[in-house]
Amino acid sequence: MKGQQGIGRPSWRSVVSVFLCLGLAIASLSLGNITPALADGVTEAELSEMTELWKGSAHALSEINCSSCHQDSETEAFVQKPNYESCQSCHEFETDTFLLGKHGIRLNEGQSPLTPAKARLAMKPEAHSKQMNCNACHNVHSVNTYEASVDSCLTCHNDQHSLNYETSKHAELFVAEGVLPRPSSASVTCATCHLPRETHQETSGGDVLVNHNNTYTLKPRDRMVSEVCMNCHGMEYAYNSIFDNELVESNFAQPPKLHLKSFDMVRVLRDKREGK
Amino acid sequence: MASKSAKSFTLKSVFNLKTLIGGAVILLLVWLIAVFNFGLEQQSIFLPGVTSEGHFGFEASCASCHDGFKKVSNETCNRCHEAELAQDIHGEKKFRDIRWAEKLENLDALTCTACHNEHVQMYGRGVHLQPDLCMACHQGIIEGDMKSHDGFTEEGCWTAGCHNYHDHRSISTGFLYDNLDQPPMLPVQQLPDIVVEATVESAPTPNLKQEFLGGDA
Repeated sequence: MKGQQGIGRPSWRSVVSVFLCLGLAIASLSLGNITPALADGVTEAELSEMTELWKGSAHALSEINCSSCHQDSETEAFVQKPNYESCQSCHEFETDTFLLGKHGIRLNEGQSPLTPAKARLAMKPEAHSKQMNCNACHNVHSVNTYEASVDSCLTCHNDQHSLNYETSKHAELFVAEGVLPRPSSASVTCATCHLPRETHQETSGGDVLVNHNNTYTLKPRDRMVSEVCMNCHGMEYAYNSIFDNELVESNFAQPPKLHLKSFDMVRVLRDKREGK
Repeated sequence: MASKSAKSFTLKSVFNLKTLIGGAVILLLVWLIAVFNFGLEQQSIFLPGVTSEGHFGFEASCASCHDGFKKVSNETCNRCHEAELAQDIHGEKKFRDIRWAEKLENLDALTCTACHNEHVQMYGRGVHLQPDLCMACHQGIIEGDMKSHDGFTEEGCWTAGCHNYHDHRSISTGFLYDNLDQPPMLPVQQLPDIVVEATVESAPTPNLKQEFLGGDA
């Protein structure tokens, strides 16, 4: 049949092309319709799994139920995928600080969520398209922060400092405590240093809240020393460690070898004042 | 096959080179105006240089810092940096004091952009800083006023990690003095604990129909 068609007859080709295009368009349209339905539809099994996770959560014991997050408070409409604003209605400090850090600043500025693909640091290729929202790190139904404190970070972060955490002394402390709903006060996790717990005496009557601005303690480095390291370590040990880039990269694999001269200068000053 | 059908499709009859170029220019202009006005992700084409570590990631959002073509104001910076500047040792309070007020003539220290610039060469810390910034007022420190600092370099104050311009609470001489000679591990090693107080003893059984169709849970 093909042979019988004249080469110089564009109308034949046009007809075929038009049908091919139409076919493709219809196929992609219907695929487009099917895919979100599959992604958004929740099966009975998934629903009961979420319910079980929620039942064991701190939310369930604080009377935060399905509708607390999945229902619009004004219109009472069902909200299938609550966003950070839903979390913000209770976790104001956590959300506000998240929005100021590297993870949340794009949302703060009205842009699409950050994805690891946009990062300058090394990220795991399979995580490149993950969108940084509250639920990127938190299991929103179990609200268990044990996973959010290390596992969630290592889902994306692939630089040496992050990868070396698992063999560090800090990780040993975390592992020794066993699996808990949230890291204990003796555990040192990624979040301990990068999303530090802060005691809010003035605003929340001594409540401990987590600062979710993940860049806050990074620079200047002394902020990390005073707000985090010095919960456990002496000042000189902490400063001599944190200003040694190699030691930071190894995730503090050994005691510091650096000896900052500032301390000797202050020692001279002290001896002078004390008349030694 | 494809080339032949392309031949039979006589584009020349409809478009000539002039209209093609004209059309492309108009399209490009429309796109540029749209990107500029609607804050699209492609705004990064307007970036004049490398973005600093701190601002990297949302630099395509020009309006985050720029209000049209006006100069970047302190208010814009404070939208995000207010908490960090709450304890600013070189803040307004300092320069309201007549002992220091005249120092503002050396450096307009109350205007963020006097020292910080984005899109220009970095010195590994925040947005652009002049390395010898402190010398606008503290030159004497390295020239005999303070014996322990004699002969120190002009940029050493902050590049060596010893001093912070804004918040020096945990790096000041007083702080170092008070915490000298501590052991590597403090006697009590404890991080803040989080206690969640339950309001009910056990989780209620969720009733979705009641919650979503019958109003209150």
